Amino acid sequence: MTADILEAKAEPVEHEDTRDSRRLGFSLTLPAQLLILFIAVFPILMQIYISLTDWSPLDGISWWQAHQLWNGFANYTDLVADDRFWSALWRTVLVMAICVPAEFLLGLGLAILFVDNFPGRGFLYSVLLVPMMVVPAVAGYMFFMLFQSGGPVNDILSFFYGAPVTIAWLSDPDLAFFAVIASDIWQWTPLMFLILLAGMVGVPEDQLRAATLLGASWTTRFRTIVLPRMKTIIIIALAIRVIENFKVFDNFYIMTGGGPGVATETISIYIYKVTQQELIWGYVAAVALVILISLSVVSAFAIKRMSQSREAG
Amino acid sequence: MTAIHLENLGKTFGSFTALKNMNLEIADGEFVALLGPSGCGKSTTMNMIAGMIDPSEGAIRFGDRDMRGVPMSRRGVGFVFQNYAIFTHMTVYENLAYGLRATGVAKAQRDRRVHDMAEFLHLTPLLKKPSAGLSVNILQRLAIGRSAIMEPAIFLLDEPLSNVDAAFRAVMRTELKHLQREFRQTMVYVTHDQLEAMTMADRIAVMDHGKLLQVGTPIDVYNNPSSVFVAGFLGSPGMNLVKGRSVEAGGFIRVDLGEAGMSTPLPAHLSASVPEGASVFYGFRPEHCELTDGEGLRLPVTFVERIGARTIVHMGSDGSAVKCVFDNRVPVRNGEVVSLAIDPSNVRVFDAETGAAIGGAN
Repeated sequence: MTADILEAKAEPVEHEDTRDSRRLGFSLTLPAQLLILFIAVFPILMQIYISLTDWSPLDGISWWQAHQLWNGFANYTDLVADDRFWSALWRTVLVMAICVPAEFLLGLGLAILFVDNFPGRGFLYSVLLVPMMVVPAVAGYMFFMLFQSGGPVNDILSFFYGAPVTIAWLSDPDLAFFAVIASDIWQWTPLMFLILLAGMVGVPEDQLRAATLLGASWTTRFRTIVLPRMKTIIIIALAIRVIENFKVFDNFYIMTGGGPGVATETISIYIYKVTQQELIWGYVAAVALVILISLSVVSAFAIKRMSQSREAG
Repeated sequence: MTAIHLENLGKTFGSFTALKNMNLEIADGEFVALLGPSGCGKSTTMNMIAGMIDPSEGAIRFGDRDMRGVPMSRRGVGFVFQNYAIFTHMTVYENLAYGLRATGVAKAQRDRRVHDMAEFLHLTPLLKKPSAGLSVNILQRLAIGRSAIMEPAIFLLDEPLSNVDAAFRAVMRTELKHLQREFRQTMVYVTHDQLEAMTMADRIAVMDHGKLLQVGTPIDVYNNPSSVFVAGFLGSPGMNLVKGRSVEAGGFIRVDLGEAGMSTPLPAHLSASVPEGASVFYGFRPEHCELTDGEGLRLPVTFVERIGARTIVHMGSDGSAVKCVFDNRVPVRNGEVVSLAIDPSNVRVFDAETGAAIGGAN
C-alpha cells in the first residue's frame, strides 16, 4: 500500500523533470564520455585518416598534415597484394587452430581429473595454475632457454637417445613453429582448465545421479549431461582464447623474433615489425584497421551465438 | 523377486552414526513410507537402497540377490529426487526417452513406450516442449514417468512433494497412490510429512536419530505407538503425554497426574501390565477428550487456537501440558479451569524412563 502511494506521487513529478534530469545525467557522464571519445573514438578516426595516406614519422610533417601525402585506397590495395601479410594472417589462424583445440582438450581432460576430490588435489590445482601467472615475456625467455641447442630439452632427449642430441630448435622453421606453439599451450592450458573446471563443478549432482540410475554409462552421462550443461561456458572459454590467441606476441617475439625468416611471424609480430623497422605507418594503420574490423565481426558473431544458446539452454 | 530386505543395515560418516541396526522387510508391491524428522536416517537408508552410498555394515537384498557392490546403474531402481532432477536442457520427450536410449532400446520401441507413458501421464501435448520452465506438477509427473518408463521393480521417492504448495500436495497424494496401484511396484517413500505417509503408505516405518522405531500400518502406528517419540511425532497435534505415577485402587491401576488429579481406572489389559508405583506417561490423543461437568482431569485453559473447522484448546503447563481438539463452537475461555473426560479405551501408558509403551493394543 505504501508503495502504491509512492508510485502515484512519483509519476507526474517524473514527467515535469524529464528534460532537467536528462541534462543533469548528460553533464554527470560528460567527463566519462569525453574520456571514451579520446581513448577510443579519436584514435580510430586518426587511424582511418592515416590509413588513407602515405605518412611516416620520417617525413618531417606532423600526422595531421598527412593529407599532403594522400594516396586514397592505395594502402588497402597494397594489402591485398602483400604476400607477407597473408602469410602472417594464415600463420596466426594456424597457431589458433592448433593451440585453442589443444588447450581445450588438455583443459577438459584436467578438469575431468580434478572434478572429484582426491588427496593432494588443492596442491596440484595451485601448481597447475602457475603457468598462467607467469608474465608472457618471462615465459618466452624460459622457453627460449629450454629450446637452446645446449638446453634442457636436448639434454632430456640425449638421455633417452643415449647419444648427444643437438637439435637447433629455434633455427629450424618447422621446429621453431612447434616450440612457440608448445610455449603457448603450456601457458594457457591452465586458463582453459580453470574455466572448464568451474563449469563442470556447476553441473548438478542430482542430474548425474538421475542419469546413472536410468542406466547411463560415464561416457553417456558426459556426452548428454555434462557437455550440454557446459555449453555456454565452453563457448566463453573458446571465445576468450581465440581472441587472445589472435593477438599472441610476447613469447613468440622473444623466442624467435618471428623467425627464422617469417616461420613464426604472426599478425601482431608482422605489424610490430612494419611499424618499428620499416616505419610505413600509413600502411600499418590500414593493416591494423582491417584486423580490428574482422576480429570485431568474429567476436560479435560469437557473442550473438552465445546469447542464443543461453536463451535455448 | 522385488521384495527389499534390509538386514542390520548401518551407516557411519566419520564419527557420526547416520543409521544403526536397521531391519526392515518390504514386500513385493508394497508401498512403505520412511517417516521421521530431518537427520533421522531416512534419506541415508534410501540412498543405500539406490546404491548412491555404500552401507558401513549389514546387507541389502532385492529378493534373493545381495546388492553389495552392484553399481547404481545396474540396480534397476527408479528414483524420484526431491528437486526432480529433470534434464532441463532437453525436451519432455528426450527426458522420457533418456533411460531407454542410454540402455540401447531400439528407436521404434523407444518411441512407442515414450508415447504410451506420455499418454498415461497426460504429457502428450508437451512432448516437444523444452522441459525448462514447466510447472512443478508437470515436472513431477515427468520425473515419475522418466523413471517408470524403465519399468523398475523398485521405485524410490525422496520427499517428492516437499516443493509443492499445500493445495497441490493434496491432489498429488491421490495421484501418486493411484500411480502406484497402476504400476504395481515396490515403493519406498521418504517423507517428514506424516500426512503423506498416513494417506499413501501401506506401512509406515517411523525413524529417529538413525534408528527404526516402529513399523506398521498407518492406523496401527497411529493408535498404538510403541514409544513416546512415535506418539508425539504422529498426529497434529501429537499425542498428549502427561507425566504421573501409577497407583492401585480397587483392583485397577489409576495414574496420579499431580495437579490435574487422578485418572480414571486403566482398562483391564493395561491394569494388568502397568506395575504399581511406577513413573509413567499417561497418553491420549487430542481428539479423545471431552469436556465434562462430572469427574475428570482438572486443567486451566492457557490458550484457545481456532483453526476454522476445529478448535485446539491448550491446557496446563510443563509436564501436564495437554492439547485437545474440539469442534469450533466449544465454549471455553483463557484462564478457565475445565474438567476433561478421557475415553479409557484410548489411553496409552508409556514407561517414563525408557519411553517404551507398556501393555499391547487392546
